[in-house]
Amino acid sequence: MSKPFWLFIASLVLLIALSAAVWRETHPAWREWQARYNAQPNVTPVPLEIHALVPTQTGKPELCVTCHVGIEEISAAHPAETFGCVVCHGGDPRALDKDRAHATLRGGRNPSALAVAASSCGQANCHGGYADAEQNHVDRVLKSLQATYAGGIAHVRYAFGAQKSPRAQFGVRAVSDASMVLPPKALRSLAPFPTNPVTGTIDAKMLSCLNGGCHLWTTPNKPSMYSYRSSGCAACHYVYADDGLYRGKDVTIARNEPGHGVAHRLTTAIPFAQCNHCHNRGNYDLRAMTFEWRDDLPPVARPLSAQMPPEGRRLIEYYQPIGEFTNCELELDCVDCHTAQEAMGDGHIYGAKQDAQYVQCQTCHGTPTTKPKTTTIREPNELALRRARLSGHAEFLKVGDRVIETERGELLWSVKQIAPNQFAQIGKVTGKIYNVPLVMGSKCTQDGKTQTSDYCHQCHSVVR
Amino acid sequence: MSWWRKEKSILYALHPEKIPASGARLTYTFGLGGIAVLAALVTFLTGAALTFYYVPTPEGAYSSIVLIQDVVSFGALLRGLHYWGAQVMVLAVTLHLARVVFTGGYRPPREFNWLIGIALLVITLIWDFTGYVLRWDDGAYWAFLVGTNLLREIPVWGEPIYRAVVGDTQISAAALLRFYGWHIFGLTIVGAFGIIYHLWRLQKDGGISAPLLKGGETRTFVSRDELFFREFVVGAFVIAALVIITLIFPAPIGPAVNLDAGVGDVRAPWIFLWVQNLLRDLPPLWAGILAPLIVLLLMSLLPFFDRRGPGRAIWFARERWKPQVLFAVIALALIILSIREAWR
Repeated sequence: MSKPFWLFIASLVLLIALSAAVWRETHPAWREWQARYNAQPNVTPVPLEIHALVPTQTGKPELCVTCHVGIEEISAAHPAETFGCVVCHGGDPRALDKDRAHATLRGGRNPSALAVAASSCGQANCHGGYADAEQNHVDRVLKSLQATYAGGIAHVRYAFGAQKSPRAQFGVRAVSDASMVLPPKALRSLAPFPTNPVTGTIDAKMLSCLNGGCHLWTTPNKPSMYSYRSSGCAACHYVYADDGLYRGKDVTIARNEPGHGVAHRLTTAIPFAQCNHCHNRGNYDLRAMTFEWRDDLPPVARPLSAQMPPEGRRLIEYYQPIGEFTNCELELDCVDCHTAQEAMGDGHIYGAKQDAQYVQCQTCHGTPTTKPKTTTIREPNELALRRARLSGHAEFLKVGDRVIETERGELLWSVKQIAPNQFAQIGKVTGKIYNVPLVMGSKCTQDGKTQTSDYCHQCHSVVR
Repeated sequence: MSWWRKEKSILYALHPEKIPASGARLTYTFGLGGIAVLAALVTFLTGAALTFYYVPTPEGAYSSIVLIQDVVSFGALLRGLHYWGAQVMVLAVTLHLARVVFTGGYRPPREFNWLIGIALLVITLIWDFTGYVLRWDDGAYWAFLVGTNLLREIPVWGEPIYRAVVGDTQISAAALLRFYGWHIFGLTIVGAFGIIYHLWRLQKDGGISAPLLKGGETRTFVSRDELFFREFVVGAFVIAALVIITLIFPAPIGPAVNLDAGVGDVRAPWIFLWVQNLLRDLPPLWAGILAPLIVLLLMSLLPFFDRRGPGRAIWFARERWKPQVLFAVIALALIILSIREAWR
C-alpha cells in the first residue's frame, strides 16, 4: 500500500472517531427527554438545555429537572423552589447520567419507604425530631397497625390455632414503646414476625403474605387493577389510579407501565379509592388458608373509574356485599372521619384495629342528650388551621371558629359549628359542604353511654 | 503552504535523521515505546484541561468529576481520553518492557536506559495510582487508605515516610490535595524529564537495538520522513481507538464515598490487583512493600546478568532463555494473582 493510501485511511478513521465524539456530545439523553416533553400537547416548550433548580433551603443546584422536566410539584407544602428534589429523594443532584444520578436514591423510587422514611420524610425539622411526638409522623407510623399489621397477624394465627389468645405478639418488624405510661389497650412491644417459620404452617403462609403486601413495609407483589399503591407514607399520601398508570407530564415516567402514581403528588386529601387499594380487596378463606381476592369487581379492561362518578362507584367498588354502611360512609371519604391518629397511629402500639380506632358516629352527631364536644380555634398557627390550609380549604376555617374535638383531643378541622345546633362539614377531598345533623332533638332513642356506631347502622344503613 | 517547512517543525527536528531499518520494523518493537509516549502526551494534554474543572477537596472532588462527566462540554470525552490514555500508557509501558526483555534490547550499552525505563514504569504506576485516588469514590477512597497505610509497614522508617507522603497522621483533606499536587505537578515534572531523557539516551546509545552484523552484511536505514510518516499513521489509529473506547466505555466512577457506612468496597486499581490479592494471604510488609520491591529489583538486575553472548535484538533468542523464563514466570504470577482478585 502506498503512503497516500495509509495517510488517507488513518486520517479518515481519526475523523470518523472525532465525529462520533461530537455527535455524542450533542445528543445527550436529557435532550431526548426534553424533546419528548416538548412534543406533548398543552405544554410550554422548554429550551433544549441543562435546567438547574436551586432550592432556597440548600442553595445547591440540582439538575434533576433537566430530564424530569415538567414533573408535578410534589405538594403545596413541599415547594420545589424551597426543598428541591434531593432532600427527599437523595441521589446525585449534579449527575445527568441516569444510573449515576439514581445510584444513591433513598428508597429507590420511593423515599418514603419505611426502611428509609426516617431519613427522608422523618428527618429532623420535617416530620420527625420534634419534642411533640404528635409531629413525629414517621415514628408514629412505624408503631401503627398499618405498619405492624399486628391485629391481622394475631387474628389469623389465633384462628388457626397458632396462638392461644388473640392478643398480638408479632409485628411485621419489631417495635417497642418507651413511653412511661401506656394508654389503655396499648402494648409495650411486638416481636418481629418469625422469618424462618416451619414449612406448611400458617406462619409460613402468612410470611409469604406479609412479604407481598397488606402493610406499609411493602407493596403488593402481584399488583393488579384496584390494588396499585406505593409503600410507606406514599402508600396513602401518593395517589394511584385504579389502573396504576401515570397521567402527569414527566415523560421519563412510562405512561403504559402500571405501577406509577397518577401524578408526582403527595396529598392529605386522600380519596377513598386510595384506601381502597388495600382495604376491602378480599377475604381470608379459613378453609384454604389463603387470601381470596374479590371476584365481584368489574374487569380490568373496564375500570369503574372510567364508567361512573365516585358516589356510584363506592357501592360496588368499596363495600363488599356483606357490608353495612350509612349514608355518610357512602358520600364522605374515609379521611373525613378517620383521623390522622387513627390512620397513622397515636405513637403507641396496638394489637387490634378496634383498639386503635375510636371515632364514632357520636363524635360528630352527639347523643340524644349531648352535643358533640367542640373547641374554639384561637391561634392562626394552630394545627387545625394548618391542616385546613394544607388540604386546600383555608377558606373553610378561621380563628374563632368552633370545631369538633374527639374524645382523644384531636380537632376535626373539617367539621365546624355554624349555629348553636348546626354543624357543617367540608369534604376534604371533594370540597363539598355537608350539613351534620345532631342526634339531640331527633327521634333517636340511642343510649349514648353504652351504644357504639354499630347500633347506628341498625337504623341508618343504606339499602343497596 | 509557505509557512510549513518540515525542517522547521520541532516534532520533525526531534527525530533522528535515520534509524536502522531492523529497529524500525513494526514486528520488532510493535511501536510500544512510541505508543507509550503518545499515550503520555494525550494524558498530559487532557489532564491539563481537566485541571480547570477538578476540585481537589473531599467535598468537591467527587461532584466535580460528576460535573465533568455530565455537564462540562466534552468533559466526558476529556476524562475518558485521560483515563484510557493512562491505561494504554500503563499497558504500553509494560508491554514495551516485556518486548525489551524478550528481545534482549537492554544489552550494553543500553543497560542504563533500561534502569531509566524501570524508573519510568514506577513513575507511571504511581501516576496512575494518584490519579485513581483523585476520583474520591468509594473504591478509590479505601484503596487510598489501604495503599498509604502500607507505607507504615516499612520497618523503622514507615511512619516518617507515611507522614511525608500523606503529610498528616491520617487521611485528610490535605492528603487529597498533596496527592493532587503529586499527580499533576511532581510526577509530571519527573515523568516528563524521564521520558525526554529516555528518548535522548536512546539516541545516544545508538537508537533502537539492532542485531549484531554478520560478515558481509550492511546496515540499512529508514529515513526521518519515513519514520515521521509511520508515527503519524500509528498515532492517528491509536488516538481514534482511544476516542472510540471512550465512547463505548466511559471512564468509570463508582458511588460517592460514604464514611458513615463504614469500610466500603476496597478496590485497588487494576494495576495493583495482584498486590491486593497478596495482601489477603501475606503480611502487609511482604505483600505491599517487599514483593513489589523484589519484582522491581529482579527486573533492574536483568541487564547485569544477561550482558553478552549471541541473541541481542532477536525475539525469544534461545541463548538468552534464563532471563526470559524468569520474566515470564514473574509476569504470569502477577497476572494470575490479578485475575484471582478480579474474580473475587
